[in-house]
Amino acid sequence: MAEREPVPISGIHAVSALGRGADAQLAGVLAGTPAFRPVRRFDTTGRRVTVAATLPDVGTLPDELTDATDAACRAAGLDRAARAESALLLATHGGPLSQPDAFADDRPLTGADSGAGNGAQVEVPALVGHLARRCGLGGPTRTYTSACVSASTAVADAATMIRRGDVARVVVAAGYLVEPDQFALFDAGRAFAADGAVRPFSAGRQGLLLGDGVAAVVLESAGAARRRSAAPVATVRGWGRAGDAYHPCQPDPAGRGLARAVRSALRRAGLDAAAVGYVNANATGTGFSDASEAAALRLALGDLADRVPVSSTKSVHGHALEASGLLELVVTVQALRHGKLPVNAGWLGPDEACPLDVVTDAPRPVGSPYALSLNAAFGGADTALLVGAP
Amino acid sequence: MSAVLAEARWPEPGDGPPPPLPGFVHSPFAPLVAAVADRCLTRRYGERPVPPGTTCAVVLVSAAGDRPSAAHVRATVAAGGRVGPLFFFQSVPNSVAGHVAARWGLDGPVVCLSPTGDPRADGTAEADLLLYDGDADEALLVLVDEAPDGTPTGAVAVLLGGGTRQ
Repeated sequence: MAEREPVPISGIHAVSALGRGADAQLAGVLAGTPAFRPVRRFDTTGRRVTVAATLPDVGTLPDELTDATDAACRAAGLDRAARAESALLLATHGGPLSQPDAFADDRPLTGADSGAGNGAQVEVPALVGHLARRCGLGGPTRTYTSACVSASTAVADAATMIRRGDVARVVVAAGYLVEPDQFALFDAGRAFAADGAVRPFSAGRQGLLLGDGVAAVVLESAGAARRRSAAPVATVRGWGRAGDAYHPCQPDPAGRGLARAVRSALRRAGLDAAAVGYVNANATGTGFSDASEAAALRLALGDLADRVPVSSTKSVHGHALEASGLLELVVTVQALRHGKLPVNAGWLGPDEACPLDVVTDAPRPVGSPYALSLNAAFGGADTALLVGAP
Repeated sequence: MSAVLAEARWPEPGDGPPPPLPGFVHSPFAPLVAAVADRCLTRRYGERPVPPGTTCAVVLVSAAGDRPSAAHVRATVAAGGRVGPLFFFQSVPNSVAGHVAARWGLDGPVVCLSPTGDPRADGTAEADLLLYDGDADEALLVLVDEAPDGTPTGAVAVLLGGGTRQ
């Protein structure tokens, strides 16, 4: 049966170069110290840029996804029976695994510690089934390979499935660990910041940097959460998905697609633009892309775009590609829970193409219980997630 | 459930390889998607773009994206080489979906899936979800067929619309 209530988020977990666990993400984005460092996991000889935000100790992607999913389910208090009826939506890259090793202190593990033989080599499309079995999730599965909106699209779809009454509970998991192939591709595309810093919306920004990101979130119907006396950490109030219809890989400079996604999210939430107290921006630190997002915010929020605090936490944890939407959702939830808005690191000064109220020097107090988390991707794909306090 | 408004395949009788697609190299993946999408949308609408007021999503279903290009990148990087910049743009299936969207004015959601069951059922379920939710009122579903080694061999495009909206 269709529900109209906000969709509770009853468990969260995330891993990035900022550390392990949701609290580590909050501490990292409030400290505002970028986690970029030289890549030691693989050879970067000949690359223009040789830094990324990586964890020195990290498992294989299938193992990290399993751990994150299990941790989010435990945080949500899901027992075996509740897990068995839960759907699983996975957001990850569709290509071959180019980094099948686990690492300790940046050195590949071998033998029994390597994870080999326990699914370390499992790729898409088999990965979601592998993950569901390991975590005891028995509901429907789906895998999103929609580049940098994979995870946020999965969250929007999960909320829709719950609202439509398809399932009572959906676990969304997402993962990207910095590996040699995407690193080489972004380097070849000259997408990286040659100065080794991500400076969203700032004058002098030069591009993006990659970062590890593995996250999992449990969404469920309000009724299901009440029946098992769950204590939600936040709610998904609204969501929107749209397309630019502009170019295979460049955003619409006018930001029309992303603006429609924001308006859809507000409409579903039943909220005015004035209710939005924070925007966790997609901004990657790329010149034309950040300007497009600023234009989208002005289209969607009008003059309020001058006053809504905005930051892109990619400036500290890097761009986790297919997982970015879920890592940033966890960060946004944590910011609302703890009442502090994250810093937009790397700021050199205002850019007239990005007339926004960017949180630059220090965390600010939360002024409203509602926040937007925005993502955009190649193909002109745009998403907006509107989260609120429980 | 949504209704089938148009459907096309590539190849159909008389077809050779799909026409080359400027900006996309090395693999038939993107040319197949673009060709079958063009054919399907032409059957429905005749000319580009889609009529004003139509919000059409693109749902692209493939086992693991453009596998010939990914394999080329894997081999090049493993050998210590440099990959060409065009491979950056075609490293995710979103890019050709965005090409189709820009060419036809499809400004609904862009979603790429790796099927966990029957590809057409998975893609139709996603399209139905988007139509129900109201972020699109039509959805162009594109399914890429692959040989066991991952080489794309053909594609099906289905334009879906109608159904029960929220």
